[in-house]
Amino acid sequence: MSGGIFYRILVIVGFVSLFHSAYSAAQHRSYLRLNELDFLGLPLDISIQAIFSLYLIVYGVLQVSGKFKEIKASAELDNKSWGTFRNIPSFYTFSHRGKAFSQFYQPPTTKSHLEEVE
Amino acid sequence: MGAVSDDVDTLRLWRENNERKSREILEKWRETLGKNVDKLGNEVHVILEQVCLAALDCFQIDLAHICISRLYKEFPDSLRVKKLEAMCYETNENYEGALKILNEIIKTDPTNSSARKRKVAVFKAQNKIIEAIKELVEYLKIYMADAEAWQELSELYLNEHDYNKASFCMEELILHNPHNHLLHQRLADVRYTQGGFENMELARAYYCQALKLNPTNLRALYGLQMVTSSLAVSSRSTPQKKKDNAHLAQWACGEIKKLYTEKK
Repeated sequence: MSGGIFYRILVIVGFVSLFHSAYSAAQHRSYLRLNELDFLGLPLDISIQAIFSLYLIVYGVLQVSGKFKEIKASAELDNKSWGTFRNIPSFYTFSHRGKAFSQFYQPPTTKSHLEEVE
Repeated sequence: MGAVSDDVDTLRLWRENNERKSREILEKWRETLGKNVDKLGNEVHVILEQVCLAALDCFQIDLAHICISRLYKEFPDSLRVKKLEAMCYETNENYEGALKILNEIIKTDPTNSSARKRKVAVFKAQNKIIEAIKELVEYLKIYMADAEAWQELSELYLNEHDYNKASFCMEELILHNPHNHLLHQRLADVRYTQGGFENMELARAYYCQALKLNPTNLRALYGLQMVTSSLAVSSRSTPQKKKDNAHLAQWACGEIKKLYTEKK
């Protein structure tokens, strides 16, 4: 976990540095206002500090957040079995033993009927 | 009210997952849904259809008729309801009657694919597998993108022990859906059943792909174990291949053991 703490400190340093650059930008504006100068853009060092600290935060957060999971295209299929997958409602047939369990079904048990089938 | 919406949710889940569960559906219908048909909201018709199918599955013809007449009241000209009626005939083993209705449906709406599929099922129910295959092949000439039909055709070919054609259908399905581990596993099963050195090698490749897509597919693990252990002693394997296969078989064995200890 020593690595984790290191990256956490990195993120904190990044944030502090980002706030510092924001503060410097505000200071710069007030300095301009006091001296009645026109605003031509931020000094280069403040911009560089802001961008650098942004990248520092991004890198630190990526390391702190832990290992990334693979994106799986078929995650919802993982718990399916072939038994349910091969069951297709459009091709159901009803000539199966389910009938025999019904109270409405009269099984053809007479001998003449069996001979008819033959 | 809570029980009703719970049951509606369960039924929807079963419908979406293609689970048959006919007896459970009927139980739910008897306990809660049947008494609260008016409270089912906008899913009422789909549920009636589902219950009707379940009733036919359990040979409860009168319940099926109740569902159908309710649906007819709402949609007097619906071909979908007419198809259910044809299925009623099928359950009563009146296959000529069923075929007549299905042909009528196709006549009024030549693009009705589900009626054509039912025709295949009618032949299948009579155990006329050859006719069913012919009908389904005709169907697939029109609707080539219908994955369900390809899957059914593959099953029918397996019934006829025509493994080459069955594996062709499975390959077609894999093209439709390359991320489905079950299809890879199935094709490997077919190849393994066919036997022979080349087919075994193919089976091994497909089992491996299935496991890559889903490492917990136990059936693929078993298959891989069996394929590799028979390839490891095959006379046509080079010594290097034998070694690799034995290694793979051992790995599969270890994975199976791991899965079972996790399950315990």
